[in-house]
Amino acid sequence: MKLEVRNIRKSFGDKEILKGISFEAESGKALGLLGRNGAGKTTTIRILMDVFHASGGEVLLDGEKFDPRKVMIGYLPEERGLYPKKKVLDQMVYLARLRGVDKKKASENSMKWLRRLQVDEYAYKELETLSKGNQQKVQLASTLVCDPEIVILDEPFSGLDPVNSQILKDVVNELIEVGKIVIFSSHQMSYVEEFCRDIVIINHGEVILAGNLLEIKREYGKNQLVVSPVDGDLDRLAGWLAADFGKEVAVTGTNRTDVIIKLAEGVTRMQFFKALSDRAADAGIEIEHFETYKPSLNDIFVERVGEEEAEAVQETAQEQGNAQAGGGKHA
Amino acid sequence: MRRLFTVIDFELKNYTQNKSFMITTILMAVVLFAASFLPRVVNLSSMTGVETESLFGGEDDGEETEDAGESSIFCYCDESGLIVSEEMFAEAFPNVIFVKKDDKKAVSEAVETGEAEAGFYVKDAFHYVYFVENSEMYDDTQMVFETVLTGLRKQAYLAEHGLDEAEFMENYEAPCEGELIVLGKDASENFWYCYALVIVIFMLIIMYGVMIATAVTNEKSNRSIEVLVTSVDAKYLLFGKVFAGALAVVVQTGSILAAVLIGYHINREAWGNKLDAVLHIPSEVLVTFAVFGIGGFLFYAFAYGAVGALVSKTEDINKVAGTVQMVIMAVYFIVLFTLNKPDGIVMKVCSFLPVSSYSAMFVRIAMGKVSMPEILISAVILYASIFFMGWLAAKIYRMGTLRYGNPIKITNALKSIGQKD
Repeated sequence: MKLEVRNIRKSFGDKEILKGISFEAESGKALGLLGRNGAGKTTTIRILMDVFHASGGEVLLDGEKFDPRKVMIGYLPEERGLYPKKKVLDQMVYLARLRGVDKKKASENSMKWLRRLQVDEYAYKELETLSKGNQQKVQLASTLVCDPEIVILDEPFSGLDPVNSQILKDVVNELIEVGKIVIFSSHQMSYVEEFCRDIVIINHGEVILAGNLLEIKREYGKNQLVVSPVDGDLDRLAGWLAADFGKEVAVTGTNRTDVIIKLAEGVTRMQFFKALSDRAADAGIEIEHFETYKPSLNDIFVERVGEEEAEAVQETAQEQGNAQAGGGKHA
Repeated sequence: MRRLFTVIDFELKNYTQNKSFMITTILMAVVLFAASFLPRVVNLSSMTGVETESLFGGEDDGEETEDAGESSIFCYCDESGLIVSEEMFAEAFPNVIFVKKDDKKAVSEAVETGEAEAGFYVKDAFHYVYFVENSEMYDDTQMVFETVLTGLRKQAYLAEHGLDEAEFMENYEAPCEGELIVLGKDASENFWYCYALVIVIFMLIIMYGVMIATAVTNEKSNRSIEVLVTSVDAKYLLFGKVFAGALAVVVQTGSILAAVLIGYHINREAWGNKLDAVLHIPSEVLVTFAVFGIGGFLFYAFAYGAVGALVSKTEDINKVAGTVQMVIMAVYFIVLFTLNKPDGIVMKVCSFLPVSSYSAMFVRIAMGKVSMPEILISAVILYASIFFMGWLAAKIYRMGTLRYGNPIKITNALKSIGQKD
């Protein structure tokens, strides 16, 4: 199956929230939907789920118009919610039946998923008597109770301890293995890196980066290296590299242990390595580690969204400047 | 449609699995059914007028207690000379001892000091003063005293003019005997059960309406609404809640009403038909009550469901439900105040309006003149309005479900119905 989101637009009143979102998700692959708070992730998901109607664009499943009520979808919303005073099993069976699963199958599936998520002992307890983490697992079990073809998980790891996170990771991996379409929205980049083959970064209602995660990482790491000193003094190393290698490299930043540098055009890794070996001893700097820079998704996200923010600030400043200049002429 | 039944099934369990709902229903039905057998168990002949064999035997306790009650003391001062004997007072006030005082002040002081419970100062044949420490809401002492005083005055007059009292009473005060044959409906006979049923349906709408609104708001409050509306069409969720509420009303009210009416029907003779005014309800009135009552309930239940979707917290329900409640209250008072004029223009108009026909039409059927076409037209208007209200409520419900925060005004909700979300 292939789910295609094409140029989705959405406005609330005069405010345009989504400005043409497009991406694709396929069976057996997970898609990571990333973005800052208010970027438009949840609105995109709600349009997919037909909670909101799009102002423009379309959603297709295998080339046909997508109707979320005609396909089994497991949806875990960001705003968690079940009936606190109802027994766990009763509400799971109810939600499965609402999705069209017959009563017997709904009951079997409910127990299966409760067992899988290790909360079957609470099947006959009222939800509010469970801990927050167990309630979260019940919510996830409710999402999967209808044997969905498409699974949409909005921040599924929030509120889970490391052990429960591992259980959930295993479940998500199983879903991917058995060929489900998994759309995964999260702020926790490490989880996205673990599951998602493809990512879409949304900012201010626009897709600012999309594609295969490995390729994106490769592209971002191109011509970039990390260097770390034995004494751990990153500031000294960064200052020295900037001063002595200004023509060969540019210092682009630091992480916890390394200085990140970008090679100037025409400079090879070997040339730089040789020059670094020659001059480091003279400068009294001992190099511990030198390798190709492999950016984390977090780095890419911060850099990409940061660039967008900076551009937006610059554009706003320019617009304000123009307005003031225009105002001056009139005056 | 199967999903609608799933919602109804789930929502109905909210009532049937609620212990207080089940206990109240069963207990009230059993207690009221058992109470209808009371005249067979306890001697209530003083009330029912029917002598029955009591399991506990003995006389009617009420009478006995009254007779054996402690005596009270009243004092009086008579300047008219009418009270030549206290015999008439003894008959009229069986448990009162009358003590004569010399003047008005003595009467006043006796009451003030607590020596007597009440006192009378009779100035002349037509004027008297009644002294009492605290006047009760329903004190009939003065009325009884006036009757006695009027009787004494009559006796004095007859004696003064040499007339025979027995002859006078036989000719002058002999009651006429008439027979009433009601060919249509007897409003006086039907009044009390109509009154009771108007109150019952009013209470059910308010009580269950708020429960439906609360159920809708709770789903917003606990955030389960997003999972629900993405699983099933929102109109099924609202219709399911309303229909489940209606079924719960039918089950609860029906079983309690049936227990009372069947119990009374079995024991009607033992009760001496004394409760006919309230409990001997003709079947056509009951059918009308069911048809129009359920219709009215559904109409307002949809309205309550819609207003429940306008708020995110249950404590805010009253802020938006006020408009609906005002209409229900207005209908309630209009129907009750015009109950004695079932064929008046107000009741006629009310019997066709969907907001009021649920109570006005069955009042007209029970007590007034109404033709079958009128009943059918009113029923059609009511049920068509229910469909419209259901459609409108589903739209508001769908619009309001994911809007959290401050309560949404009804006017804003109505305006946004035409807009795409």
